[in-house]
Amino acid sequence: MKRYALAVALVMLVAACGDDTGTTTTAGTSETTAADGATTTTAAAGATTTAAEAGGMEELVAAAQAEGTLTTIALPHDWCGYGAVIEAFKAKYGLEVNELDPGAGSAEELEAIEANKDNPGPQAPDVVDIGLAFGPQAKDAGQIQPYKVATWDDIPEGAKDPDGYWYGDYYGVLSLEVNTAEVDPVPAEYADLLDPAYNGQVALSGDPLTSNAAMLSVWAAGLGTGATGEEAAQAGLDFFAQLNGAGNFVPIDGDSRTVGIGETPILIDWSYNSIANDVNLAGNPDIETVVPSAGRLAGVYVQAISAYAPHPNAAKLWMEYLYSDEGQLGWAAGFCHPIRFEAMTAAGTIPPDIAEQLPSTEGAFFPSIDEISAAQAVIVEGWPSVVGVTVEPSPSG
Amino acid sequence: MGGARRPPRFHFGRWLGVLPFFIFSGLFLIGPAVILAYRSLEGPDGTLTLDNYRALTTDTVMAAYGASIRLSLTTALVGGIFGFLLAWAVSMGGLGRSLRSGMTTFSGVASNFAGVPLAAAFIFTLGRVGVITDLLTWMGFDLYGSGFTLYRFWGLTLVYLYFQIPLMVLVLLPALDGLKQDWREAAENLGATPRQYWRRVAFPVLLPSILGTMILLFGNAFGAHATAYALTGGSIPLATLLIGQQISGDVLNNPGLGYAVAMGMVFIMAICIVIYSILQRRSERWLG
Amino acid sequence: MTISTTPLPVEVEAPVAKPAAKRSRLWAWLIFIAGALYFLVPLGATFWWSLRAEAGVLGFEAYRRLFDDANFWPSFTESVVNAVAAILLSLIIIVPTAYWVTLKLPRLRPVVEFITLLPFVIPAVVLVFGLIRLYGRPPLLLTATYDSSRVLLICAYAALSFPYMFRSVDNGLRAMDVRTLTEAALSLGAGWPTVMRRVIFPNLRVALLSGALLTFAIVIGELTIALFMAQQTFGPYMANLTRSKVYEPSAMAIVAFALTWVAMGTIALVTRPGRRR
Repeated sequence: MKRYALAVALVMLVAACGDDTGTTTTAGTSETTAADGATTTTAAAGATTTAAEAGGMEELVAAAQAEGTLTTIALPHDWCGYGAVIEAFKAKYGLEVNELDPGAGSAEELEAIEANKDNPGPQAPDVVDIGLAFGPQAKDAGQIQPYKVATWDDIPEGAKDPDGYWYGDYYGVLSLEVNTAEVDPVPAEYADLLDPAYNGQVALSGDPLTSNAAMLSVWAAGLGTGATGEEAAQAGLDFFAQLNGAGNFVPIDGDSRTVGIGETPILIDWSYNSIANDVNLAGNPDIETVVPSAGRLAGVYVQAISAYAPHPNAAKLWMEYLYSDEGQLGWAAGFCHPIRFEAMTAAGTIPPDIAEQLPSTEGAFFPSIDEISAAQAVIVEGWPSVVGVTVEPSPSG
Repeated sequence: MGGARRPPRFHFGRWLGVLPFFIFSGLFLIGPAVILAYRSLEGPDGTLTLDNYRALTTDTVMAAYGASIRLSLTTALVGGIFGFLLAWAVSMGGLGRSLRSGMTTFSGVASNFAGVPLAAAFIFTLGRVGVITDLLTWMGFDLYGSGFTLYRFWGLTLVYLYFQIPLMVLVLLPALDGLKQDWREAAENLGATPRQYWRRVAFPVLLPSILGTMILLFGNAFGAHATAYALTGGSIPLATLLIGQQISGDVLNNPGLGYAVAMGMVFIMAICIVIYSILQRRSERWLG
Repeated sequence: MTISTTPLPVEVEAPVAKPAAKRSRLWAWLIFIAGALYFLVPLGATFWWSLRAEAGVLGFEAYRRLFDDANFWPSFTESVVNAVAAILLSLIIIVPTAYWVTLKLPRLRPVVEFITLLPFVIPAVVLVFGLIRLYGRPPLLLTATYDSSRVLLICAYAALSFPYMFRSVDNGLRAMDVRTLTEAALSLGAGWPTVMRRVIFPNLRVALLSGALLTFAIVIGELTIALFMAQQTFGPYMANLTRSKVYEPSAMAIVAFALTWVAMGTIALVTRPGRRR
């Protein structure tokens, strides 16, 4: 299935006589790296911010191949079809990809950049894929360097840094991942989860104190009650307090595995993970992905190049690849909405069979960075008392 | 046995034997520990501050230390006792050589079976849809209905024992081997009952080793992170989980506090060593 | 110790088949069986789950997928090599140290013990960040290549093994009354290397085996440090599999358990004493 999609994408890429040196948005972006005082490693192609400045795609490819390797981090193969994307990238350009910790969270990715500042070795990531709220944070800390891909203009304004430091890559909506072998009937909305039928079955994908996705899940449940903004965050806390009190909440971190074995048969997670799990399990058991209509929350992730990247040209080539039609369709095949979704839909470059397996994001709320931070502050403050993180661990509990 | 006290003069040759150890530890343990200490003084913006240490006295952190200590003590004691019994059974219980070597190698593996695979194994066994849970339901007993859960203190203890007991067995076996048969025979010839033998001969001899190994168990549980996280997702306050939340978390990100909590753990372990040294010196008087 | 005033019993041979011995054997069996149940049932449950990869069928599909995976054997063998290297390094450092501390520098004992317990209280993630900070930049740049990072990893593993190695060796030294043996050997004219080789090491065999087994298990499954050092060892491989699959992790847990057990059995066999004591 994915191979077919890739073949179609490749054909279209060739047919569309991809001329990537077109859009050069260099207006006023000459302050590339020196401004934040970060010590960037000077690459063969210099500290450039677009492919055009680098002398065109061929030069970039040559420089990247001279470097030979790209170091990535936090890219699980089942997440947005990254496995296939990485393989296709390797095959296309003959580079090796050194994959670091696939389980790293956004903060860990930035920590890896920071800790390996002067390290040219394989432990230093070249590129990161982090949550939206982490983009500005990384820029301020001088951990990333700007670069604008050829298809820069297709990226919506709210999902990219004007100076080119970080840029949205894909998005999805939060959903309920349901193991239908253990759960009957299948819930449709967050409010349904309070039903006694779901006793000991509902879990989050992480700890809201450490995981961005889990924190957003709490917020989404609150949004499902009809509240907005910070009130929704508090409503989310109240909802989970209720869920916990009713005994429906399981306090462990859920993932595809715990859903599959039936320990957390209802998991609040990104729709793309849920669908991918369903495909992987091939009916053993059968997973249903339910996108609630109330409290439909979308989340955007962003790409960035490390300011200390040991292989900056490979990193830039990787970005060009990801934002080309081929790369974007690779993510679409992984059930994520690529960030250029609207532009590509308008241009008709998304094959219908890929488009129809993407869950609907209609009516989804795309929060801004400030809104996320505000909700986060409320949730982090209130979460410990919600789950009953008791100061005295009682003997029976 | 005591031995004459030598005059405490500095003899370089004496230190030669431990020099490699100190150099190696310096490079790979103390060096990072110093960095740990330094970073514990860093605030969120990078300036040096004592705020992180002040934060150690907050309820959250104290609760985390308390829970960690309680869990570690419990598993060290329970694991120590059962480990001792098991070690006794395979070495002196007359079970045969092959059972002993099987137990030894198994203990080697099991002592490091931790983290997600161990949590998963217990979830398969005693989780909501676990094998034993189902068995008990079939026998008429609703395990989860009675309030049992794998995700709280006693569940965690049960799981921790899986690597604590083998550790005790493995490390204590050499000490049990050192209990010479002649002592036993001599005691019996003198009319001692097995109980007297154990109380007056064997235990006093073994006590330093048992205590030392229990400290090991304590430290092992104290520093455990992966298993605790796999079972609780961070919902029980434990020191190691707290450190993880602060250092690696996406949301609460104050590494300096995480490092300060770690320094607190170092301090607690230091106290344990002191207590152990005192206990050990007292028990060694039996041998003197 | 009170000395009984009853006369010596008439029989001279060692009391072997007395009822008391039989009763203690019964207890030993009970304890062993209880232990076996506790340890084997969760493994059994894991195994049973691993057979369910194909819907409705109990089979070895999960194992087939596991062995087909290109990364399984390379990562395992890499870990085994790391483990052996770490064990040797740890032995070379710890045995003389424990010996010296016991015999010559008893006042240094608390310091040495504290240092050997440091790996417990320095979380792995903190340790590896510390190592990267120290050795991930000039002038002490050790992480520039994969292989040099591997050497650093092995040294870190040796350090991680200190608590177990030291405790085992220490227990062994206590059990063998090392002071008397050493004095006896020295007074018979043996030099230090001879003392080490023919008195200390042979008597420490069991203790060394324990320490080696523990170190082996630690290294095989170690995750955090290998992950941050960008090493393709078994720990990261297992973690990755666990994250993404449902049935293969159980198969892998069983296989890893079995493989490690076999490897340890081999170590135990190889270090078996040449002649009966």
